[in-house]
Amino acid sequence: MAVSTVAITSAPARTPPVRNPWPRRKRKAKEAFRYAVIVVLCLVVLFPVYWMVLSTFQPEKYTLTYPPPFWLHGFNTNAISSLFNQQPVASWLFHSFIVSAVTVVVTVVLAIPGAYLLSRLRFRGSGAFAFLLLFTQLMPGAMIIVPELEWFRTLHWTNNLFALGLVYAAFNVPLGCWILKSSFDTVPNEVVDAGYVDGCTQLGSIRRILLPLSRSGLVAVVIVAFFGSWNDYLFASAFLTNRSLYTAGLGIATFISQQNVQLYQLMAAGVVFSLLPVLLYVSVQRHVARGLTAGALK
Amino acid sequence: MQTNLHRKLLVPILLFEGAFVIYPIVRGIILAFQQTNFGKTSWVGLANFRQMIHDPIFWASIRTTFEFTFAMVVVWLSLGLGVALLTNWAFKGRSFVRGILAIPWAIPDVPTVLTFTIMLDPNFGILNRIASWIPGVHHQIQWLTAPNLAFIAIIMMVAWKGFPFYSLVILSSLQAIPDELYEAARVDGAGTIQRFRSITWPSIVPTLSLLAVLAFIFSFQQFTLIYLATGGGPGQDTSTIAILIYNQAFQYFNYNYASSMAVVGLLLAVIGTILFVVFERRVIRQRYLQGGLG
Repeated sequence: MAVSTVAITSAPARTPPVRNPWPRRKRKAKEAFRYAVIVVLCLVVLFPVYWMVLSTFQPEKYTLTYPPPFWLHGFNTNAISSLFNQQPVASWLFHSFIVSAVTVVVTVVLAIPGAYLLSRLRFRGSGAFAFLLLFTQLMPGAMIIVPELEWFRTLHWTNNLFALGLVYAAFNVPLGCWILKSSFDTVPNEVVDAGYVDGCTQLGSIRRILLPLSRSGLVAVVIVAFFGSWNDYLFASAFLTNRSLYTAGLGIATFISQQNVQLYQLMAAGVVFSLLPVLLYVSVQRHVARGLTAGALK
Repeated sequence: MQTNLHRKLLVPILLFEGAFVIYPIVRGIILAFQQTNFGKTSWVGLANFRQMIHDPIFWASIRTTFEFTFAMVVVWLSLGLGVALLTNWAFKGRSFVRGILAIPWAIPDVPTVLTFTIMLDPNFGILNRIASWIPGVHHQIQWLTAPNLAFIAIIMMVAWKGFPFYSLVILSSLQAIPDELYEAARVDGAGTIQRFRSITWPSIVPTLSLLAVLAFIFSFQQFTLIYLATGGGPGQDTSTIAILIYNQAFQYFNYNYASSMAVVGLLLAVIGTILFVVFERRVIRQRYLQGGLG
């Protein structure tokens, strides 16, 4: 209400009231202050990332001393090389990659019909369908970890990377549907109708019209599914008991409690594991930011 | 037009989600009313729930859950709002700064825990070096094992990892406010604070309340960061329901007892989902009104 009254009462332009005597200088000072706060904020936010990278390449004699130095005192790549030589990190990363690939493919394949249902079709039970998706997305994984594990034991699907990817997909399909739905929503009805006139079926209109116009939405779905799978520890820790089948997240987490893993190796593992998601994020950030926030709020 | 197209599209999703989500939920609810002893499963009615309401550890964990989710709602929303207001003006390098500020979101949970554990280490952690600059602070603060401090350390870590999402969403809702409103208010002689109170705040309240619901749900889902940093300790200080269920199931192998706690967690998740739907409608209505004005 407050919003609309301001808009209406002030519609006719009036002469601005007298401002302070040196507005320019004051504004400059204000801007400088804002810049300073932003720089400090960026430094604070980036500090943990900086610290992870620093601890990886810091020569060993500096990493376990107090006070820890703020700057790099040399450049030591021993952490990375010894990590790959002494631990099966390479194969763990490969497993994470396979699981993520399964998750991404299944999520995209199921999110497309789901998004179409939410965006273009009205049918009995559509409200229930939407609620089901939403609930699946918002439910904590820990709430079904026990029955899910029992179910997978019955099926002999534990220690199976493909099956693990399917579980991640089940948790990522709902968000994928919402993201893609908001992309589909932006395609005008006239465009789709024109397709029908040209002899397109409804299914054909998804493939020929909606999907090509929803590329950034598709990219966002891929990213979300990839991150969801790459990031998980909970399900991997319950479903994978064979160390040679570990995903990277699970394997690296077990380093925490192992005495023979050096601190700098731990940090190196962190850097290596973060590399792919960060690179992905940086390369698609522009396209995805919109799709992600839109998807989260439908 | 094919009228049964929706069935063809629904079947694969429902089968898939049914097999991997709905069926386990049903099975979990059944487990909550059973007990397994030496491989024999029997129905025990409400026995698990009776044990639960007399279990101080359960209540401690419920309390921790609410303290934690409440703290995260407050911290995430204020951080998100602060950062959004700070970056909501046309300055050089704006998109670069926004990209930088969203990086924590791209760092996976496990490396986040590793890094914070190292930074918070009582003997050689960098945070204790920084803390020692404050007069009166001795440098061996036991961040992750001291009562209360562990809770605060967890909040710091979870806040760092999660805030980019909130600032991005709040920023986009700030940018949806038509510039003419601010112009008009300025012409009317409204100061910065007055403009914030009568224009900015009412325009973003619906988004903020929706984000509050989401912050509740996301902190309620939080598992990896807490579990790997403290395992729920010291005592039950950081043991939210998710952690408690996991420990009951995989440390003590009380599958049935863990399932009865999961039923409580599921109910909370249902409430969260309903709240989300309600608050989301409000946001949509607000957007619609703004669209009409602009």
